[in-house]
Amino acid sequence: MRSLALFAALGVALAAGPGVQAQKLPWQTSDTASANGGQLVRFLYPQQVVVAAGKPQTIEMHFRIAGGFHINSHVPLQKSLIRTDLTAPDTPGVKIAGVDFPAGSPYAFPADPSQKLSVYAGELVVRMHIVAQRGNHLIQASLRYQACDTNTCFPPRNVAAAVDVIAQ
Amino acid sequence: MVAAVALMIAAGVVNFVHRQREQRARLEAMRMQLVPADGSGVPSADEMAADADPYSTPLNGQQAANFTLQDLNGKEVSLASYKGKPLVVDFWATWCGPCKIEIPWLEKLQDQYANQGLAIIGISADDLDKDDPAKLFTEKREISDFATKMHINYPVLLDADAIADSYGGVDSLPTTFFIDRTGKIVASTVGLASRDEIEADIQKAIGGAHS
Repeated sequence: MRSLALFAALGVALAAGPGVQAQKLPWQTSDTASANGGQLVRFLYPQQVVVAAGKPQTIEMHFRIAGGFHINSHVPLQKSLIRTDLTAPDTPGVKIAGVDFPAGSPYAFPADPSQKLSVYAGELVVRMHIVAQRGNHLIQASLRYQACDTNTCFPPRNVAAAVDVIAQ
Repeated sequence: MVAAVALMIAAGVVNFVHRQREQRARLEAMRMQLVPADGSGVPSADEMAADADPYSTPLNGQQAANFTLQDLNGKEVSLASYKGKPLVVDFWATWCGPCKIEIPWLEKLQDQYANQGLAIIGISADDLDKDDPAKLFTEKREISDFATKMHINYPVLLDADAIADSYGGVDSLPTTFFIDRTGKIVASTVGLASRDEIEADIQKAIGGAHS
């Protein structure tokens, strides 16, 4: 059950969004994916942050992975798997000093418990460390991920995660 | 701040309740459509079965679309060259965990049904940077290494994207089509099916029309 605090934070956005739907087939349209532009991960917040100019700051980027799905962590346990990563183009006035990802949770497909994976599910918080010059800046970040459920995997996708940084 | 949060919660609750009402109304409307008062327009048993089966595909019963793709050695392979054989076409990718479970089953089933003419083709859905020869070389090598590591004993073709539209989009993996000797799709699975289901579908392809 979601906590009241989370519900409050997500507020209207979550209530207006689609519920978790059963997975559909390729020749059908996945309600979850189609309602989110083909995405199984959504960027939640922040859309805007106010930070101290010229000082190291950390922005916590919150994402939500659709129910029933998981994505590989930033450090997957197999070479062939596609890791979750956050990228951003050069943004004048902002230096991105680094990005921290949480450790993944252990997971295995029910049909093959021996295939160990490191994944994210549910809420994902990525910490982006920046130093911004005074002024307004738009960091047009993007989270690359590759999602699966218990039986099916989906091609890698990118979800936009733009943050307006107001440095004062 | 407290007022803003309270407003957000209230708006969310109102929205949620409204959506629930809409959903109930839609369901009621659907129920009424399914059982018209005069009995007209009632779907047939087959139509209802197809609607009820989430794994039903409009491609079942259709001729499989022909294609020509390159294998790991650069040789062109076409579907048409398999006419007269029961065939499994399996879309997979190196990053697909369920595919790694399914592939060893296909390898064993290929051996098991080889004397009945069964052929299997694996089609990789891994991205290919066709405009960057160096990257393309690396990507092909990685697919080849993966196929070797998995001991794949059937042809592996590249570039599923080039033919995906002809096979329903192939938006999720594994996606597997079972084709009889006349080239007709007799079954398909999306996602990891059980080994028994895959074998039953292979038997459908083998037992289909003989040319």
